[in-house]
Amino acid sequence: MSEKNINRREFLKLTAVGIAVAAGTRAVTSTKASSSAPKGKHQWAMVIDQSKCIGCGYCTLACQAHNDVNPNIQWNKVNEGDMVADKHVFLPRPCMHCEKAPCVEVCPVEASYYRDDGIVMMDYERCIGCRYCQIACPYDARSFNWEKFSGENPAVPEWGTPEVERRPRGVPEKCSFCYQRIDRGLALGLKPGVDADASPACVVVCPTGARLFGDLNDPESSVSKALHENPSFRLRENLGTEPRVYYIPAVPAKEA
Amino acid sequence: MFKKLRSKLVITPWAIWLGLMGIILLSGAIAGIMVFWKGLGITNLTDRVPWGLWITIDLSSIALGAGAFSLCAGVYLFGLKRYQPIARTATFVGLIGYTMATLALILDIGKPERFWHSMVYWNTHSLLWEVTMCVILYLTVLVFEAMPILANLEWLRKHLPKIASLMERVHHYAPILAIIGLGLSSLHQSSLGATYGVIKARPFWFKPEMSVLFMFSAIVGGISLTLFATMLSSRLTNKARINDALIERVAQIVGYLLIGYFYFRAWDTLATTYTYDPGRSEGLHFLTKGPFAFNFWIVEMLLGMIVPMILLLYKPTRMNRFWRMVALVLVAAGVVAFRWDTNITGQLVLISYIPGAAITYTSYQPSWIEILTGAAIIAYGFTAFSLGVKYLRVVDHSLIEEDHAKVKVEVVEPVTI
Repeated sequence: MSEKNINRREFLKLTAVGIAVAAGTRAVTSTKASSSAPKGKHQWAMVIDQSKCIGCGYCTLACQAHNDVNPNIQWNKVNEGDMVADKHVFLPRPCMHCEKAPCVEVCPVEASYYRDDGIVMMDYERCIGCRYCQIACPYDARSFNWEKFSGENPAVPEWGTPEVERRPRGVPEKCSFCYQRIDRGLALGLKPGVDADASPACVVVCPTGARLFGDLNDPESSVSKALHENPSFRLRENLGTEPRVYYIPAVPAKEA
Repeated sequence: MFKKLRSKLVITPWAIWLGLMGIILLSGAIAGIMVFWKGLGITNLTDRVPWGLWITIDLSSIALGAGAFSLCAGVYLFGLKRYQPIARTATFVGLIGYTMATLALILDIGKPERFWHSMVYWNTHSLLWEVTMCVILYLTVLVFEAMPILANLEWLRKHLPKIASLMERVHHYAPILAIIGLGLSSLHQSSLGATYGVIKARPFWFKPEMSVLFMFSAIVGGISLTLFATMLSSRLTNKARINDALIERVAQIVGYLLIGYFYFRAWDTLATTYTYDPGRSEGLHFLTKGPFAFNFWIVEMLLGMIVPMILLLYKPTRMNRFWRMVALVLVAAGVVAFRWDTNITGQLVLISYIPGAAITYTSYQPSWIEILTGAAIIAYGFTAFSLGVKYLRVVDHSLIEEDHAKVKVEVVEPVTI
């Protein structure tokens, strides 16, 4: 019996050591993973001018074509809002690419992650399809692939040609700021937000120029200037997610 | 030859039970294959309500498996040795509960073949990662804790006595396993609540109390289910031998715990009214006055807490086996209702990202596929427990620790010859 007691005590010691070691490794890994996006050379952002948006939905279609999105899914949804001064006001909603993105925080396998240019990316090969990110996203920006998207994409070729692979059944998907266009454009020496070939498809297709895209680190970029010159807001700002999509309201608040 | 076969095919209540469970398991297996084949599109889950019936089954079976860690901690760490036979049953119930949860999760994730990703790719920020790791590790602990129970299998004792005795010897490490189990369970039982509690997009969930509530209700519900299963099996079969005095004492503890659970749940709900937060107040309204009012007031509060609290704390009803059983099963059902209400209410109240837009509501009804597979998961739990009672002496209060040691010697001896 006394032997058992010694064993138990020794084991308690061992357990304590084990817990300490486990806690140590956790502390080390947690310094690696950050709870907000790393700041790289570029900080991409989008500005949507609600006074210019006419709700045509071209952005949605171009997005569906360039990213080969299922017609049942809209990465970029155009919402119709209230009437302001007898005019319809629209609120297009891409992914907000939050600086502190709830989806990145909750993903159990780091399938959602930050690029150092601020884009919130999805690794569709790693995702297990638990849908916690959908639960956590305050902007309904994620759509799950309940079915396999096979067959023709009705938006192709009228609105563009697919530039990325179709996502498999069983993973959620969302807007990526057309990272493929940005990356290819930069490789070709183009400037995202200025050159069409380096800018998100929705920005390029917008007939009224309601969308601006560019680098917040560049004070001369169209987004930096627009945000400097106009009052703007972001969606559900009280949550502290720090979205990278800014809106210029349809009726600018009178300057005090 | 036919006579022999016919004599074997006597319709006993046991055969009917197994047949019934078999039918449910079979239909669930077919439905499950459909899910893997056709994908989650055949469920009623949507982008608005991505977590439905399966998640509730998952949460409930983990919660009701919590009797294992709480009773093992009580017996092996806090010196309540005499309750060891109940802890034994609880361990088996826990093992069943956690495997049920694993089954539900495998169905629920969109890419079941990638289930192992959570072990390889770590996001230490994610509550769900922590829960997954803890559940996997704790399931391993439960397997070890259940080794001495599984060693009771007659076939194993006869044909592989060496392995059986080895499995029995794991019992000596019970205190250590109880420590690990307590740690892992405390982590993931509360983190399951935090899984909801950290979601700032949904104010109805976004509060620190979620962890406390999940933990507390799991302990209360888990112990209750174990006691109920123990008592029920003693009524149905002579394979189960119980010491009613033990159960009665633990049931009294459950009664006291219920006061705490009731206080927390009531306080948590009422405190929601202190401030107005879009989405949170609507959620409360939805729960207390809307479509979930019956679930909340009657199933959770009245039948799940107040009635069993009285039945278990009032001595005459507690001493009465029938009323005690009623009380215990009500507690377990109340905890399941709490998980369902919490999970669904938080999703049905839709908070728009459009500035100034009103709160809207959606609805969710599980599809037949979800119900059939869900029923099969529950049927698996029932079947496993009844098999355990029949063949593994899972409910046997005459089998105490000393007895255990004796059995071990008997088995070891023939091996050394």
